Amino acid sequence: MKRRIGVFVCHCGINIAGVVKVPELVERAKNIPGVVTALDYVYCCSDPGQRLIRETIQKERLEGIVVACCSPNLHEATFRKAAAEAGLNPYLCEIANIREQCSWVTSDRDAATEKAEGIVRTMVAKVSHDQPLVRLGVPIVKRALVVGAGIAGIQAALDIANAGYEVVLVEKEPSIGGHMAQLSETFPTLDCSQCILTPKTVEAGRHPKIRLLTYSEVAEVSGFVGNFRVKIRQKPRYVDLDACTGCGICLEKCPVRVESVFDRNLTRRRAIYRLFPQAVPNKVVIDAQHCRQLQGKKCGVCAKVCPAQAIRYDDQERIVEEEVGAIVLATGYELFDSRRLGAYGLGVVPDVIDSLAFERILSASGPFAGEVRRPSDGRVPKRVVFVQCAGSRDSNQGVPYCSKICCMYTAKHALLYRHRVHDGEAVVCYIDVRTPGKGFEEFYRRATDEGVQYLRGKVSKIFRRGDRVVVWAADTLAGKKLEIEADMVVLASAVVPNPDGVALARRLKIPVDGWGFLSEAHPKLRPVETLTAGFFLCGCGQGPKDIPETVAQASGAAAKVLAMFGQSELYHEPVTAVVDEEICVGCGNCERTCAYEAVRVDPHRGKAVVQAVMCEGCGACSVACPAGAINLKNFTKQSLTEMVDV
Amino acid sequence: MKYPYYPGCTLYSKARNLDRCGRLAAARAGFELEELPSWNCCGAIYNTNTDDLAAQVGPVRVLAKASQQGRRLVTLCAACYNVLKRANERLHATGFEQDRQRILEFVDEPFEQDVEVVHYLEVLKELGWDAIRQRVVRSLNGLKVASYYGCLMVRPREVLKFDDPENPVVMDELMATLGGEPVRFDFKAECCGGYLVINRRAVADACSLRVVENARTWGAEAIVTTCPLCQYNLESAQLRRGTVLTPVFYFTQILGLALGLEPAELGFEDNKLDPVPFLKEKGLL
Repeated sequence: MKRRIGVFVCHCGINIAGVVKVPELVERAKNIPGVVTALDYVYCCSDPGQRLIRETIQKERLEGIVVACCSPNLHEATFRKAAAEAGLNPYLCEIANIREQCSWVTSDRDAATEKAEGIVRTMVAKVSHDQPLVRLGVPIVKRALVVGAGIAGIQAALDIANAGYEVVLVEKEPSIGGHMAQLSETFPTLDCSQCILTPKTVEAGRHPKIRLLTYSEVAEVSGFVGNFRVKIRQKPRYVDLDACTGCGICLEKCPVRVESVFDRNLTRRRAIYRLFPQAVPNKVVIDAQHCRQLQGKKCGVCAKVCPAQAIRYDDQERIVEEEVGAIVLATGYELFDSRRLGAYGLGVVPDVIDSLAFERILSASGPFAGEVRRPSDGRVPKRVVFVQCAGSRDSNQGVPYCSKICCMYTAKHALLYRHRVHDGEAVVCYIDVRTPGKGFEEFYRRATDEGVQYLRGKVSKIFRRGDRVVVWAADTLAGKKLEIEADMVVLASAVVPNPDGVALARRLKIPVDGWGFLSEAHPKLRPVETLTAGFFLCGCGQGPKDIPETVAQASGAAAKVLAMFGQSELYHEPVTAVVDEEICVGCGNCERTCAYEAVRVDPHRGKAVVQAVMCEGCGACSVACPAGAINLKNFTKQSLTEMVDV
Repeated sequence: MKYPYYPGCTLYSKARNLDRCGRLAAARAGFELEELPSWNCCGAIYNTNTDDLAAQVGPVRVLAKASQQGRRLVTLCAACYNVLKRANERLHATGFEQDRQRILEFVDEPFEQDVEVVHYLEVLKELGWDAIRQRVVRSLNGLKVASYYGCLMVRPREVLKFDDPENPVVMDELMATLGGEPVRFDFKAECCGGYLVINRRAVADACSLRVVENARTWGAEAIVTTCPLCQYNLESAQLRRGTVLTPVFYFTQILGLALGLEPAELGFEDNKLDPVPFLKEKGLL
């Protein structure tokens, strides 16, 4: 006996009704075999729309419904919930997508109506064969992994830990804090970056619920949402973390000096080092590449002078295994290498530096203890040119996007320079000044009011003349070409995703955009989730952003993790593959095809076995099976054939 | 290895030394340049009027002649290289099929095959710097040389694909191979003033002197170039100003010197700014 099926056609305002002739479609739908009622409504997803569906299901004793509306990505969940509330199994509700796949891409009204009818018929055929299904319950490991311990990762870890759940916080550098630890003061309030960051790093370092793994990287993730198994590679530190007291005697005695990456190569550190004196954990690490002892030469000075006997030259890489339910990716950013902009002379013309180098110069713990001096000769520069968009908004040689934070930090740089060098001249060359943030426009005004000169035009060339740096710029408001002789030039280099973060995302199959920024599940409505269940994101790894926005996003990601941990178990979609063991010959094609490692051939019985909680219902195995032994629930071959046959 | 070679008009007059040193040095480096028979002017400046097909006829005829000799055409003059390469690109561009037909009907020479336009420097690079280093008989002995590419060698980037247009390095690599110390400077690929020297001499001089002064700032003792107009402008602007003088060579002269050509073969008498005393002082002559 045929099922009693109802069809609901949504107008979607004029999105559908403006093209598809809805009354005609309703009449045609009524003639489809099995359909006992067909109705239309202006917005089916609205409260009255859903009520109409619920009431009709009950009044007409419907055994299956088709909602002809937008993409199932948008409202399948909505209508299945409505069906369930009316007592119908939610998997007996199907969506006929007549918006994205019909009205939006068809202009002829008759053709669109014809096509819409075809789509509705297809879904009626499907729902006639659908079986009622029940969601699978999956237990959750209520621990989280946070990758990256910059301000984003620290904030997310603290929020989750403070709610009472354990967090594993992994950082590849020897200490936490990320780029924020390099900054001097922060816009638009000019609080000292260290002063607002260190309380957080200390809290993260001492929190009883946070397991901090520094100098470590995520090597492997297996499992699925709620039940991930993670392998973390701890790089050899050559220092016993428990024994080292951070006294710093070794830092004075080590004979090797190498350029400090933390100080953007403006100072030199020893082969045994810590990033900065307030580091968390406040423990040293040996840079094996430069350590004389580890390179096989005679030295061993640090081991001799260490009062705690913490040096371990035989330290080995270790793999730590953890089980977690959710993973937050806070992999952060790096500055675009502006040496690639040949005309700007970074790395070759003396006293042309990038913005993070200038942060170090401004920093009280930087190379000149906070005094603004030129790297080449230590002189106080009397004229500094700040070049904005050095790589940003440059689709030829840089990146096409706006790096978002440069306008504000450049205003801050120019202002702080003027505070430190009272007779100094600060010139900013810009394309547009963008200040969309709380207090940002006022801060930019403050910079101009306090004597920072703004010139609108892109810098074409930077070169050396004697011991000065010459900038060719334009003042497009005055229509003039300019040549500015300066003592120092600061490039506002573009923000790009941290390459290690991009590599990790690629390994974990987390989608990234063309530039390597992590892709959010929905650009507006799901900004802290990824499309892979159980993975969340925050910070500059997702896109350029400033500190307040990063912190807000980190808390958002933490809230999503907590919402998950608040449930007693997770539910998994029941649309999974099932094996007909009578037909299966155990060839293993399905196992090789499955991207989720959800199908295995049982070696004893020689039959394929599906682990339902890991199956994402993609159907690849069903196609690959030469015997036709694997079917996806509610996508059986019979059902698909009839769907095509309408 | 034998390559079809297109010298161009200037290399038969003002830039005789660029041409002659190029041919003689090629023999020393292990390849041969075979001049195209009955070649014509390339047009000297690439015509950017899209409807002016007549201007394409010159370079296209050169390409047709070359196709009868071989697959690749070697050039030395930066301007010829630029014009021929761009004309070649356009000849194969989509949307140009009809015009191509009209030009080919007009040109009296048939195309035997597709031709690739390459610069002498590219041939050297393909031979390999190691192979050339082995043939050096007179090392430049650390001479600080600034390689000046000008605008024609590297732009437009999409067509010429010669080197990084902001920081080309091929010639620098050659100078290092010959025992010199290449000097990186900021005006490697900036304009020398070009033909403005004819009617706006002050503008051209300012451009040329900027190039020379910046090379000196970075410590250059000599400048090498591939372009007859750059060579002329850089020398004559310095002579007109009359102060500190930096010799400007064709890269083939320096190549020839290092590969052991006789002084009489190097064509220094054609340099307006006599480089002989400088080279003697450096112990290179």
